Amino acid sequence: MSDLDKAIAQLRACRPIPEAQVREVCHKARELLIEEGNVVTVAAPVTICGDIHGQFHDLMELFRVGGDPPDTNYLFMGDFVDRGFYSLESFLLLLCLKVRYPDRMTLIRGNHESRQITTVYGFYDECLRKYGSANVWRYCCDIFDYLALGAIVLGASNTLTPPNDSTPNEDYIEQEIEIEVCNADGDIMSRFTRRNSDHSSGSEQQRSPINGTGAKTGPPGSGASGSSGGTIGNPTGAVLCVHGGLSPLIDTVDKIRLLDRKQEVPHEGAMCDLLWSDPDEIDGWGLSPRGAGFLFGADIVKVFNHRNDLSLIARAHQLVMEGFKEMFDASIVTVWSAPNYCYRCGNVAAVLELSEDPSGEGLFARSNGDVGRSNGMRGVMMENDNGLKSGPARRYRVFQAAPQDSRGMPAKKPVADYFL
Amino acid sequence: MSAPSIPNLLSLRGSRGGARGRSRGRGGHPASASSSSSSATRDATIQGTDTDAAVSRMSAVDLGYLQDPFAQFFVQSPAVGVPVRRLPIINRGTYTRTAALDRLVSSFLSGGESGERQIISLGAGTDTRCFKLFSQPTQAGLIYHEIDFPVTVRKKLQLVSSIPSLRAIIPNTKLEGETWSSQQLPNGCQYWCHGLDLRDLLKEDRKSIVGVRTDIPTLLISECCLCYLEVSESSNIIKHFTDRIQSLSVIVYEPIHPNDPFGKQMVSNLAARRIRMPTLDEYTDPHKQEARLRNAGFNSTQSLTIEEIWKKWVTAEEKERVDSLEGLDELEEWNLLAGHYVVAWAWRGKGFEGWERGLG
Repeated sequence: MSDLDKAIAQLRACRPIPEAQVREVCHKARELLIEEGNVVTVAAPVTICGDIHGQFHDLMELFRVGGDPPDTNYLFMGDFVDRGFYSLESFLLLLCLKVRYPDRMTLIRGNHESRQITTVYGFYDECLRKYGSANVWRYCCDIFDYLALGAIVLGASNTLTPPNDSTPNEDYIEQEIEIEVCNADGDIMSRFTRRNSDHSSGSEQQRSPINGTGAKTGPPGSGASGSSGGTIGNPTGAVLCVHGGLSPLIDTVDKIRLLDRKQEVPHEGAMCDLLWSDPDEIDGWGLSPRGAGFLFGADIVKVFNHRNDLSLIARAHQLVMEGFKEMFDASIVTVWSAPNYCYRCGNVAAVLELSEDPSGEGLFARSNGDVGRSNGMRGVMMENDNGLKSGPARRYRVFQAAPQDSRGMPAKKPVADYFL
Repeated sequence: MSAPSIPNLLSLRGSRGGARGRSRGRGGHPASASSSSSSATRDATIQGTDTDAAVSRMSAVDLGYLQDPFAQFFVQSPAVGVPVRRLPIINRGTYTRTAALDRLVSSFLSGGESGERQIISLGAGTDTRCFKLFSQPTQAGLIYHEIDFPVTVRKKLQLVSSIPSLRAIIPNTKLEGETWSSQQLPNGCQYWCHGLDLRDLLKEDRKSIVGVRTDIPTLLISECCLCYLEVSESSNIIKHFTDRIQSLSVIVYEPIHPNDPFGKQMVSNLAARRIRMPTLDEYTDPHKQEARLRNAGFNSTQSLTIEEIWKKWVTAEEKERVDSLEGLDELEEWNLLAGHYVVAWAWRGKGFEGWERGLG
């Protein structure tokens, strides 16, 4: 067993590794990350995850539900640290897995992967408490600066593969399932077919929220098939993954590639916006109540997706009580992976699974990695084009917080603050 | 252990102010926050909630949310390290709750024609409002009562007697039984502090609380107090006062919405700390809180959640100022948490007629 495997085993048991080893792992991780572009290219199949926030035991639950790495290819969209009590173990485990299985683990930066934010929201205090000095916090923050800002998922299928071996594959291809929601045990909770297919029974009503939520959460994929203009069987457009959202300074994915990312998250500018912005029911751009980043409306997303050949933006950053929330005709989805956030919010979490397009066309049909590919003919909203690529088939696995006593939690239970 | 040099981006930033590019952090002295009460008895647990509130208040004062020179005297300085710092969401909540109560109290005190006014604060604990009010030189004709468990009340007397800046505001204290008071404050003001289990008010042979006037406009305050009692007890305690005082107003501050996912988690988390709030099951939303007060005999009722109070009562400049202290990155969580607390107020006779005055 290598030292790295030992470190992974120790971290999986929620035990911190020695400072010297943290330093070593961070050094190796840095060598890897420095080679990654600002926008990493990831091939489907992939499981996309949102905020973790130091909720280590829930991260273990996520692995149980989504499959263990490296068997499952994971993409984490940032906010590994702060708020929860095990930021250190959670981030270091993910980082060790990244070093051990670089092609099966993609980590991109969230707004909490920042020196300034971690001093307010807990990670700094945690490092100080667990090591007696801020060295480990410094090593981690230096790694934060090297994390990619986004990822492009290529080759995602517009049909799903079965969630388990007992379901025949044919069912999925025939029924043209666009969205499937599973619980933590892999049981199907709800399904939505593409509206333009013959099998479509998917009226708006049947696309209503799956777990009895209020009107604020749109139906998963509401209107999604309205935008699925592509012929069935065609490769879907690429999926952009980013922690927060879009920036008024960024109109193409290529412009993200040109940023100088190796720095603390700035207070403003494109890099800040990518990590801080939120979609909202507005036209165009708006000021964010968070004091950083912007709000952006459906029109912004649709133009951006069209211009960049994207079918979907996956992002995290906002708590959604149902774990995921599709907006704007399924052109953008929020994925939230911290169940019972802060041990207080009572929400469920979700991960998003994208299947591999068996034809492999999705990978060859475009070359998202190349600078300048968006130059030339591509105009906005060309005629005879619905303007948007057909979205990939999406499986959401919804899960709850790990039971507090089931995983050898320390005797001291997390105490959430209230106003008393 | 001293905090290392954390780059303070605020100081690196230019002088551009405004809503953008605001600091979301501070390069101050982080501290580990942990406190839990594990007392054996339920009463002790409830008394512990007062410590919780005092620590939250201190955190909000330390970070500049609130101005309260008296808060420091009611928290024990930790044995090691730096004072407890609450998360920004709790600090903002403490700020908003305090701002809401301050506004209503000041509206009550300045409403209608001048004359004597009385405030009765239930479960006041280590509340510092009385010191803030009595330190205003213009304060006149205010009779202020606080009621809490005898052990809490004795502790407060000890502090007021031993700390010069508290004693300067409430001097010449006199102890009789479980009640101590200072009846010769400037401009006809009086302060009374009663060591009394509120449930004793419901006993048949119970005499009225000493010093409480029944002939002047009176404000009853329950800031997370009555919620710890059984529903019937809390109604009867309010009735104790409505039976005796004609011109009566009331402010109730309590959690609500116990049945949605956040609320269920809240109930379960509080239960893990052995805190139970019987009235929470009964008065589950702002309407029911108002109905509760109407049924108690108040003919005018109002209510707002803490979330609404932040939106409607805190001015744009104040929001800007408070936001700039630490930043609050998770608005969804704030809306959830702040939406689960309500301030309901009601009156009959002289009370809150002017509460809307000065609202933008």
